[in-house]
Amino acid sequence: MIAASLLFTLSCSHQDTPEERIRFGVGAPPLNLDPRYTSDALSTRLNRLFYQRLVETDSNSMPVPGLANWSQLSPLHYRFKLNSTAGKYPDGRVLDTNDVVKTYRSILDVTRTSPYQAALAMIDEVKFIDSETVDFLLNRADPLFPAYLELNILPAEHIDNDHPFSTQPFGSGKFKFLRWAEAGHLVIQRRNDGQLFEIVEVKNPLVRTLKLLRGEIDILQNYLSPELLEYLRYQKDIELLQNSGSNFSYLGFNLQDPQMADLRVRQAVAHAIDRQSIIDKVMRGAARKAETIFPPEHWAGHNELTPYDFDPEKSRRLLLEAGYGPNNPLTLVYKTSSDPFRIRLATIIQDQLSQVGIQVDLTSYDWGTFFGDIKAGNFQIYSLSWVGIRTPDIFRYVFSSDSLPPAGANRGRYTNPVVDALLKKAEQAETLEAQTRIYQEVAAQIHKDLPYVPLWFEDQYAVQGSRVTGYRVSPNGNYDGLNHLILKKSREFSHAQAASAH
Amino acid sequence: MIDFLISRLLSALLVIAGVVCLVFLLIHLIPGDPVDVMLGESARLADREVLRHAMGLDQSVLSQLTRYLTGLLQLDLGDSLYAKQPVVGLLAERIPATLQLAFAALLCAFVIALPLGIVAAVKRGTIWDWGAMSFSTLGISIPNFWLGPMLILLFSLWLGWTPVSGRESNASLVLPAITLGTGFAAILARMIRSSLLEVLGEDYVRTARAKGLDEPHVLWRHAMRNAWLPVVTLIGLQLGSLLGGAVVTEVVFDWPGIGSLMIDSIQRRDYPVVQGCVLFVSLTYVLVNTVTDIAYGLVDPRIRYGSRP
Repeated sequence: MIAASLLFTLSCSHQDTPEERIRFGVGAPPLNLDPRYTSDALSTRLNRLFYQRLVETDSNSMPVPGLANWSQLSPLHYRFKLNSTAGKYPDGRVLDTNDVVKTYRSILDVTRTSPYQAALAMIDEVKFIDSETVDFLLNRADPLFPAYLELNILPAEHIDNDHPFSTQPFGSGKFKFLRWAEAGHLVIQRRNDGQLFEIVEVKNPLVRTLKLLRGEIDILQNYLSPELLEYLRYQKDIELLQNSGSNFSYLGFNLQDPQMADLRVRQAVAHAIDRQSIIDKVMRGAARKAETIFPPEHWAGHNELTPYDFDPEKSRRLLLEAGYGPNNPLTLVYKTSSDPFRIRLATIIQDQLSQVGIQVDLTSYDWGTFFGDIKAGNFQIYSLSWVGIRTPDIFRYVFSSDSLPPAGANRGRYTNPVVDALLKKAEQAETLEAQTRIYQEVAAQIHKDLPYVPLWFEDQYAVQGSRVTGYRVSPNGNYDGLNHLILKKSREFSHAQAASAH
Repeated sequence: MIDFLISRLLSALLVIAGVVCLVFLLIHLIPGDPVDVMLGESARLADREVLRHAMGLDQSVLSQLTRYLTGLLQLDLGDSLYAKQPVVGLLAERIPATLQLAFAALLCAFVIALPLGIVAAVKRGTIWDWGAMSFSTLGISIPNFWLGPMLILLFSLWLGWTPVSGRESNASLVLPAITLGTGFAAILARMIRSSLLEVLGEDYVRTARAKGLDEPHVLWRHAMRNAWLPVVTLIGLQLGSLLGGAVVTEVVFDWPGIGSLMIDSIQRRDYPVVQGCVLFVSLTYVLVNTVTDIAYGLVDPRIRYGSRP
C-alpha cells in the first residue's frame, strides 16, 4: 500500500507554470462560461473578455454603442447597425448580424432555459435585415431597451453545432480561451499582444494573500478582509489599486412580519445604525454611504434623499411610540450568511441595535440555506448586497407587488400601490428623461417607506504584485482592467524598443 | 475465500443502493429549488413550469428516484445545474487529485507513525515514549485549518521551499499531505504503540526472547506481524475518509479534489453533483473496507475466510 502510494503520488506530477504568464487569483472557479446561462460573477466578468456586445454602458451606466449603433424607428422597433468594432473569432471569421440573430433567438428559446429570457421578454422578434443590420421588434415600448442588450454575442455556426461554450468560450472579444490547465485554472490569451494569463482559483483569502506575497499570483481583486487589505497596503513591492464601487449593501426587513410591518420600528433600526463609524473603523474607509440602490453617479440615481442619520435618541423615541421599551424590549432575529466578514458586520449592527434597546438574535447559515430562507420569507431582518445592477428596472424586480418570490426578488414582501403605479408609468414612459424622473419618484417613495435600510456601496480594489503593472479597477468589479495589465519586463522591453527606434 | 468475496460484494452493493436512495431523498428535503438555480429569481412562472416538467421535477419523488437509478445503471449521474456538464465528467476531473492527496497523506502518516509508535512501545515509560505520545496528542489536537496556513507561512513564505497552494508541481503536494497526514499519523502512532505493547507481553514473545533471539528479530518477525491487524483496520477506515474528500485541507491548499467539489456544490445547491460526490464517497468506503477485510487474511494467517475446518 505504501509503495502504491509512492508510485501514485509520483505519477501525478505536473509541469511548473511558465514565468511569462500573468496569474490572476480568484476566489471561486468560473461555473459556466456559456454567456446564455452564466449566472455567477466570475463567469460573467470573464465572458466580457471573450465576447463582444451590441451595447456597452458608460461611467454613468448609460447605454452606449458597443458593436452596433442603434436608432429607434418606432416605440416598438429598434434597428441596430454593426460598426467597425466587430471583431474576428479565433477561426478568423468576422462577427456579423447572423451571429446576433442566432444568439438572441437562442437566449429566447424556451427549451434552452436561459436566465436572461425574463429580462428580454419584451422582444417579439429578432429580424435579420442584412449582414450589418438587425431589427428588434418589441411587444411593449421601453425606452431603456438598448440597455438590456449588453449580452455577449456567440458565433451562429457554433450555436447550431452545440459547441460546448460552457467550458470552451469562442468569441470575438479581446481575449481568447486557450485551455483549462486543471479544474479551476483557466489559461487565456490577450489577442493584441499574445500575453498569456492564467486565472487561478484560490478559495481561502489568507492563502490568496500569501500567494500574492510569494509571487505565485500576480494580481487579485476584491474578497479580502479589511485586515488583509491593510496588511497588503504596507508590503514592499505590492500595489493597492482602489475605486469607488456600485455594489449596494442593505439591511432588509420582512414586511409581513408583525413587528417589522411597523414603519416606526424600521425607522428606529435605521437611526440606530452608525454607518459612518462602521465604514471608517471596520471597512477602513473603503465604502461610501448609500441612500438608494443606485450610486449618485448613476443616471437614475437620486442625490437629494434625506439620509437616515445615526440618532440613537430618535431611535429610542420611535421605539417607545411603537410600544417598545425597557420593560417590553423589541427582539428581532437577524439572518446572515456564513461569510466571516458578513458575520462581523452583523455582530456590530447587533451591538449598535442593542444600544437603543433592540435585542437581536444573530444567526448565520451556509449560503444555500440562508438564501433559501430569504426567498421563502423566513426571516425578520437580513443583510445582503446587490451586485452589478445597471438598469432601474431593478425597482420593478425588487419592489413591485408583482415580484413577490418566486415571481421576483421582492424578498421583503413590500407592497405599495403608489410604487406599483409609478413602476407601470415608468415602463410606459416614452423617453429616458421621463423614465428617469419617475424612477427618482419611486426611489423617494421607497426611501420613505423604508423596506430596507440602505447601508453602503463598497469600494472595488485590486492588489498587484511586483511583476505586473497597469491594471485599472472598474467601479462594477469587472475584469476589463486586464486589457491594460502588462508584465513589467515587457514594458521595459517595449520602452527599450521605442528608445532604439528613436 | 471466493464465497466470502461474493458475500462482501453483495452486501457492499446493498449498502451502496441504500446510500443512493437515502441521499436522493434527503437532498429533496433540503430547502432550495433547482429551477431557481437554473433560471434565477427573475424567471417567469410559465418558464419555471416548462423547466420543471422538462426535468421531471413535477413527477412524484418515487418516479424521480426510479429515473435516477435507471440512469445510474448506465453510469449517467445527470448534468450539473450550474456547469451544464455531465456529473461523471466533473468527478473524473477531480478523482486523480483526490487519490494523489489521499495516498500521499497516507504515506506521510505512515512514515511518521511507524517509528514513533515502535519507539514509544519499545521504550515504554521513558522520555522517548513521552515525547512520541506528546507529538501524537499535539497532532490530534491541531486543526487542519490552522496547521495548513502555519505550514504555508513557514515552508512557503519564510523558507521558500514549497509553493503556497495549487497542484502545479510535485512540491505542491508536500504541505497538503503533511497537513492531512499529521492527524492520521498521531492516531496511527498511538494504535501501533498500544497494539505492539499488547503483543510484546504475550507468551510467544517471551519464548522468543528466552530462545535467545535478538531484539530486532523478536520485534519484526514475531511482535510486529501480530500487531498489524488493528493497524490495518485503522488504515482502512482512515483511507476511506481520506478518499472521501479532505474538505478543509483541499480548501486551504486549493487542491482540486472531490472534497472541495462537494462543498461548493452543497453551497450552490447543485443537487446532481452533490449526489455524485456522495455516491463516490460511499463507494470508496465500501471498497476500502472490503479490501481491508481481505487484507486481514493476508496479514494474519490464522484468519482464513470461507475455509473449512
